[in-house]
This record gives sequence, C-alpha cells and structure tokens, in this order.
Amino acid sequence: MTEEPRLSAREMIERLEPALSRARRVRAVTSLLSGLSGTAFLTALWGGEPGPLPGRTQVMFALLTVVCLAWAGYGGWLLMCRVPLFATDRVVAAWIALAASLATTAALAALAVQRGTGLGPVLAVGGLFVPATLVLAVLAHARRRALLRRARELTRPPMSGN
Amino acid sequence: MTDELLVVRAQLGDRAALAELVARWRVPVWTYVRRMLDAERADDVSQEIWLAVIRGLPRLREPARFAPWLFTIARRSVTDRLRGQYAREHEHAHESLAAGDVTVDDPVDAAVDRAELVSLLSGLPMPEREILVLFYLQDLSVEDCAQICEIPAGTVKSRLNRARRLLRSHLEEKGYRP
Repeated sequence: MTEEPRLSAREMIERLEPALSRARRVRAVTSLLSGLSGTAFLTALWGGEPGPLPGRTQVMFALLTVVCLAWAGYGGWLLMCRVPLFATDRVVAAWIALAASLATTAALAALAVQRGTGLGPVLAVGGLFVPATLVLAVLAHARRRALLRRARELTRPPMSGN
Repeated sequence: MTDELLVVRAQLGDRAALAELVARWRVPVWTYVRRMLDAERADDVSQEIWLAVIRGLPRLREPARFAPWLFTIARRSVTDRLRGQYAREHEHAHESLAAGDVTVDDPVDAAVDRAELVSLLSGLPMPEREILVLFYLQDLSVEDCAQICEIPAGTVKSRLNRARRLLRSHLEEKGYRP
C-alpha cells in the first residue's frame, strides 16, 4: 500500500496563502508604525502642555496613548510571530519606517514651534527613532545584498579544474 | 536547482521558489509525520509544519542546512501532538482505572501506525522509529539526525543499532530468515 498526502503541492500553497498575503504584511507594518508615531505624537503633545490639564483631559491623553501602544504591540506581534517579512519586504518596511520617523519628527517640531514649547523633547524623540530606523534600513539592505550575492554564486556554473 | 538556491531565493521573497520548495519537500515531510502519527493527523500536522517553516524562513541563517532545520520543526510539531495525545490518554487511563475498568490501551500502541507499509516501523518505540525514518527514509546524516533530535551523535548511533536489532527480531518473529 502506497500512501500519499491528501493535499497536493498547489493545495498546500493555497492553504499557506493567508500567511503570505501582501495585505497582511502591509497591515502589520502600518499598525506598528502608526502606533509608534501616534504614541510619540501624543506623548509630545501631552508633555508640551503649558499649564496643568483638567483630570478628564489627562485621562483622555492616557487612553489614547494606550490605544496607540496597543496598535504598535499588535503590529509588532504580527511581524514577530505571524507574518514573515522576506529580505525585500524588510528593505521596503525599513524605508517606510524611516519615512514615518522623519514625518513624525517634522510634525512634532512644527507643533512645538507653533506652540512655542521647546524643541528639546521633539529632537530627543526624533533622535531615537530616526537613527534606529536608519540602522534597520542599512541592515535590511546588507542582508538582501548578501542573499543576492549568494544566489549569484549558486547560479554561476562551477569553474572547470586546471 | 539546489535546495540552497531555492531557500535563498525564497528568503529574498521569490514566491515561485517558495512554491518549488514546498513541492519538493512536501512528500518527505508528510512521510516523516505519517510514520509518527496516524493518517488523519498527518495532513494537519504537515500544514502546521509548513506554516512554521514559512514564518521562520526569513530568519534561517544557513540556507545550506535547510533539511535538518525543516525536520527539526517537523519533529517539534509531531512531539507537541504526541505530548497532547499522551496527556489525554493518561487522563483517560486514570479515569478508567477509577471507574474499575482495567482494560487500558497502551498509549504507544494507540499512537502507532496500522498501515501494512509501516507495520514494522510501528512496532518500534518512538525514539528508534524516529531515528530510522530520518536516517534511512530521509537520507539524513548521523550529525543531522543528532541536531534534529537534540541528542549526541553517539546516541543516534546507539539508537540506530538498537532499532536494527529490534527490526531484525520482529522480522524473525514474522518468519523471515536472513
């Protein structure tokens, strides 16, 4: 008796499709970045208030920050445990992260200037996020380059001996 | 195209390479799972394994060692299933004993394969069966088997020896003579 798997290769790939879907990867990256940007934005806004805020406003700020952190956590969890990011995806994701960091820092700086609060906290947040995402982008490019080099080596026909 | 090249391309995000990798290793993975579990669960567990492979593939640092890595994941999934099954059967056995029922099935017997093709293998204890499947059916080296099973290479060799002895005695019991 010869047994075989019930699922064909095509059926197996179809069943794995949800884990590989582009929409899911985009959702994961968007959740993480918007959550982190939102948290930074709210924290800067909250911390930059000139006078003491009423209790209700404080609670609202805290709640919104928690919501943003939850989105960031959800996106991070998806990326760590559920959605595979292949080398090319990582390069794209790192550049999106860098763009989001720069945009958040610029928006926070504009807000600080408009409200006349100090630029110090904004630059501190930007100084944390922008270099971190830059490092991620450099690492993602290096990994992709290494894989492309290895693929070329493996594709190249073997050198004939002397 | 070598496995390593397929893995590297899949790690870059090439879907065709990933599909080819699944097509190439689908049957060996299923065969390994089938030797350890019944047919009904073999398909489910194989799918779980491939899902874990896809999720872990971007982090695989040595594409040349794809096969041992793949079977390490497969082994983990099979072990998880068996552990769950043993726990349930153990619980069931306790309940039966408490109810005065003394005809308790051996959990290993319950886990073994009934198909004719694997009847000999299914007569072996799990550790020996697993090593035989990996070494002879999947053509993996002693070192790869050791890595997959997380045991020293010496233990792999001693399990292989014991498995051969057990197989020989089972064959002799069935009337085969060398």
